Amino acid sequence: MTYIRTFLNIIALPLILLAIWFVSTLGETSFFVPTPQALVETFFETWTSERFVSDVFPSLGRLMIGIVLSILIGIGAGLLIGSFRWLRALLEPTLEFFRAIPPPVLIPVIMLLIGIGDEMKVSVIVLGAVWPILLNTIEGVRSMDEVLADTSRTYGMNKINSVRYLILPSAMPQIMAGIRQSLSIALILMVISEMFASTEGLGFAIVQFQRSFAIPEMWSGIVLLGLIGVILSFIFQLAERWILGWYHGLREIEQAA
Amino acid sequence: MTSEHSQPTNPVISQSGVQDTPDGRIPVGKTMPGEEPMLSVQNLKKVYHTDGGDIEAVRNLTFDLPKGQLACLVGPSGSGKTTLLKCISGLMAPTEGEVTLHGEKVTGPPKSMAVVFQEYGRSLFPWLRVAENVELPLKNQGMDKTARREVVAEALEAVGLSHVPKSYPWQLSGGMQQRVAIARAVAYKPEVLLMDEPFAAVDAQTRADLEDLVRGIWKKLGVSVLFVTHDIDESVYLGERVIILSSSPTVIQEDVLVDLPAERDQLETRSSQRFAELRHHVYEQIQLAKKGFRPEDAVANANA
Ligand SMILES: Nc1ncnc2c1ncn2[C@@H]1O[C@H](COP(=O)(O)OP(=O)(O)OP(=O)(O)O)[C@@H](O)[C@H]1O
Ligand SMILES: [Mg+2]
Repeated sequence: MTYIRTFLNIIALPLILLAIWFVSTLGETSFFVPTPQALVETFFETWTSERFVSDVFPSLGRLMIGIVLSILIGIGAGLLIGSFRWLRALLEPTLEFFRAIPPPVLIPVIMLLIGIGDEMKVSVIVLGAVWPILLNTIEGVRSMDEVLADTSRTYGMNKINSVRYLILPSAMPQIMAGIRQSLSIALILMVISEMFASTEGLGFAIVQFQRSFAIPEMWSGIVLLGLIGVILSFIFQLAERWILGWYHGLREIEQAA
Repeated sequence: MTSEHSQPTNPVISQSGVQDTPDGRIPVGKTMPGEEPMLSVQNLKKVYHTDGGDIEAVRNLTFDLPKGQLACLVGPSGSGKTTLLKCISGLMAPTEGEVTLHGEKVTGPPKSMAVVFQEYGRSLFPWLRVAENVELPLKNQGMDKTARREVVAEALEAVGLSHVPKSYPWQLSGGMQQRVAIARAVAYKPEVLLMDEPFAAVDAQTRADLEDLVRGIWKKLGVSVLFVTHDIDESVYLGERVIILSSSPTVIQEDVLVDLPAERDQLETRSSQRFAELRHHVYEQIQLAKKGFRPEDAVANANA
C-alpha cells in the first residue's frame, strides 16, 4: 500500500507536466519545441548503443572519476585540516576564496596548463565538486562531540582507529550532505567541460545538435542528462541509507522523544 | 532529615578531623607506611582561563586511593568534581600539583584506567552496535578476535545485557545505555575505574539496580573505584569511604570512613542505624560546604 503511494507520489508531478506539455503542443508546429511523442521517438533513435559508446560512456567515466577523486581528496584533506586548529585557521579563508571561483572560468587556464584531454575535464569536475565535501568534512571533524572524543582518549585509541571508528563516522552525516551537493555540481561541470575543444561526450553532442539545428535531438540529450541526474541521486540515496542508517535511526528516536 | 535528631552513637571516623581512629581501625585514605598508594592526588589545583577571566575550579586537593578501594566523592554542584576526574584521568593537565599512578606521574590517559561518563548518550558510539562498542577498546589494544568475543560476551553478561548485543545504543533505555558503558569499562579490565555521576540521569529504580551492579563488579574484579556523585545516600551506600568536597574553589571538606558491612542491601542497609548516622554526617558537611564553611585545617591535615 505504502509502496503504491510512494510510487504515485513520485510520478504524479511528471505525469501532470507531461499532460500540460502534450496539450500545449497540440497542433503546434514550432520548430524549437517538439511534441512529447516526437521527443520519445527521437530519444530512442538518437541514443543508440553506438552513441552510448562514443559519447555517453566517456562522459560517465569522467564523471565517475571526478566524483571519486573529489570524495577522496575532499575527505582526506578535510580530515587533516579539521584535525588541526592552526591548519584550519591558516587555510580556511583561502579555501573560501577558491571555492568562490566558478570552475568554468578556470577551463581556459586549465586548458593552457594541462591541455584539452580527459585530464582537463576531470580536473574541472574535481575543482568544482571538491569544495562542498572538503568544507563539510572540516566542519564535521570540528564539531566532534567532546565526550565521545574524551572517551576515545581514555581508552587510548590510536591514530588509525580514531580516524576509522571515531572521526570519520562522526563527521559522516556532514560528509554525506557535502557529497550530495557535489554530485549535481559534478554533473553540470561534466557537461560544461565537454563544450570546450571536445570531440566527444554528452555535452559535446548536445552542442553539436544545437549547432546543426537538430532540435529534437538536442532536447533528447537534455532529457538524458536529467535521467542521469536522477539515477545518480537514487544511487546516492541507497548508499546514504546504508552508510548513515544509524544516523537516521537516532534522529527518528530523538524526534519522537 | 529534621534538624532535631540523636547524636550518632559511634563517632564518624573522619580522616581530616581525627588522625587516630578511636577504635584502632586504620583510616582508609592513608596508606600504610611503606605501601605505595595506587593512585595519588597531590596538591592538585586547576584554574580555567576563560575570556571572562580565570575560574579557580579546584584549589588544593590531596588524597590517596589504595588498591581495591571503592571511594565516593561527593560535593555540591559546580564544586569541580568533573574537573578533578578529568585531571586524574589525564584528559586535562592540572594547573598545579600532580596525579600519580603507581608512583608515576599521569600526563595522558593511562592504560590501566577506564572512565564512565555521566552523559552515557554521548559516550557510546552511536554508529556501533552494543557489542561493537564494548569490543572497540579491546580491538584497539590488538586483542585477537576469539578472545575479544569471549571478553565482550562475559562483560555483557555481567551487566545483564546478553540479549541485546546487536542493538544500537540509542535503541536502549538510559539505564541500559549506562550498562553498556559499564560493560565496556569492565571488559577493558582497568586497575582504576573512574565514574562521573554515572547514574544522575536514570530513574530511581534503575539507579538502585545499577548501584548494586557497581558494587558487584567492584567486588568481583577487585578494581579501585572512584565514584563521583552528588547524591549523599548513594555515596554512603556504595562507598567504603566518602570524600566530601567543599564548594568551589574546592578543597577536601572531610574524608569519612564508611564502616557498613561489606554485604549491602538496598532495603536493609539503607534502613540501618549506622547508615542513617553516616548519611546524616555527610549531609551536614555538605550543608556546611554549601554555606561556604571551609575547613581551614583541611589542607594542612591532608598534607600531614
Ligand atoms: N571548560 C571549562 N572552562 C571554564 N570553566 C569551566 C570549565 N569546566 C568547568 N568549569 C567551571 O569549573 C567549575 C567546576 O566545574 P565542574 O564541571 O568540574 O563541577 P562539577 O562538580 O562536576 O559540577 P556538576 O555537579 O554540576 O557536574 C564550575 O564553576 C564551572 O563553571
Ligand atoms: Mg560534573
